[in-house]
Amino acid sequence: MPQFESEFFSSLIFWEVISFGILLFVLYKYAFPGILSALEEREKKIKDSLDQAEQHRSEAERRLKDYEAKLSAAGKEAEAILAAAKERAQRLLDENEQRMTTEAERIKGEATRAIEQERRRAIQDIRAQTTEMALMVAEKVVQRSLTDTDHCKFADEALDALSKSYQR
Amino acid sequence: MEESPLHQFELHPWVPMSIGGVDISINKAVVFMWVVIAVASVCMVMAGSSRKLVPGKLQSLAEMMVEFIRNMILETMGKDGMRFFPLVATLFVFILFSNYIGLIPGTYTVTSQIIVTAAFSFLVYGISLAVGFLLHGVKFLGILIPPGTPGWLVPLMIPIEIISQIARPISLAVRLFANMTAGHVMLAVLFGLTVGGGVLIGWLPFVFTVAIYGLEFGIAFIQAYIFTILTCVYLGDAFHLHGHEEHAH
Repeated sequence: MPQFESEFFSSLIFWEVISFGILLFVLYKYAFPGILSALEEREKKIKDSLDQAEQHRSEAERRLKDYEAKLSAAGKEAEAILAAAKERAQRLLDENEQRMTTEAERIKGEATRAIEQERRRAIQDIRAQTTEMALMVAEKVVQRSLTDTDHCKFADEALDALSKSYQR
Repeated sequence: MEESPLHQFELHPWVPMSIGGVDISINKAVVFMWVVIAVASVCMVMAGSSRKLVPGKLQSLAEMMVEFIRNMILETMGKDGMRFFPLVATLFVFILFSNYIGLIPGTYTVTSQIIVTAAFSFLVYGISLAVGFLLHGVKFLGILIPPGTPGWLVPLMIPIEIISQIARPISLAVRLFANMTAGHVMLAVLFGLTVGGGVLIGWLPFVFTVAIYGLEFGIAFIQAYIFTILTCVYLGDAFHLHGHEEHAH
């Protein structure tokens, strides 16, 4: 095989060392730092972005919890307000009912009293008129059979009685 | 005229040179080493200088490669291993570009030269030994006794482990060289058959040539990857003595 011809070994090794040395120097000096730093930069950038995203996420979660808490508090408050309003409405209703009942009782009582009064007065009136009419009838009956003196006597008596009854 | 399928690996001194009696003539393989480092440098430096947050195609590709090697190092050696990142990454880039440039017809596959891959593998192995002894001192010799070995097995284990250690750089070098050579030989043979077969039967080996060429694209990457990951594993072994035993062969 041509590769085992040792006459080229020295020149190949010599130039290989030189070439490899040059390549090592060039890459070490001009290529690797740039590539490695670009890689690290990107790594850092990605890591930072991830960290930031994580931070935003936790922030958002915190806010969500806040809002949920606020929302539930508002719900409770609304419930309390509603309950209070219901209670007040019930109370007003009860009060109204009571007042109406009392008012009705009062009106009923007054009416009863007024009716009673009227009744009494009517009875009195009736009695008075009845007496008057009885007297008049009696007068007419009595007039024919009596003398003038009797008349006078009876008239006086009647007048007395009448005046007595009026006085009473 | 039938060409030998090994003809493509032959080298001829184009510009004869020597330093202190050592021959350093420029030949086709040397020229393609230059091409490799030139192309690799241009691509990587361009990718490294754009530095956009949303990368373009070239930057993406280079970043993918760098990320890939970085993960490889972090997995095998941990964070301390990043000290070797330039070496490991350059090795990967060099081998990858050599393999791919070698796939272009008419070029030369630098990594199909055993001496080139051997130089890399011994460099890597030498560094791993140096790191081991620097970090752990004499205790690094404990790598020859796997943890949990019963006392009476130690005399047997030491020679076995010595052989396995010696096999490391050799297998590393031969694996890459053999894969590259075999692929190109196969392509040459199949294409030779295509040319020799004529229109009537030649289409069959041609179909295979195309298929194998596609396969070679995969192999070019896989071999660069294997060479690099084994480099990481060997360096990692030296780093964490008996930390985790990995014998990927």
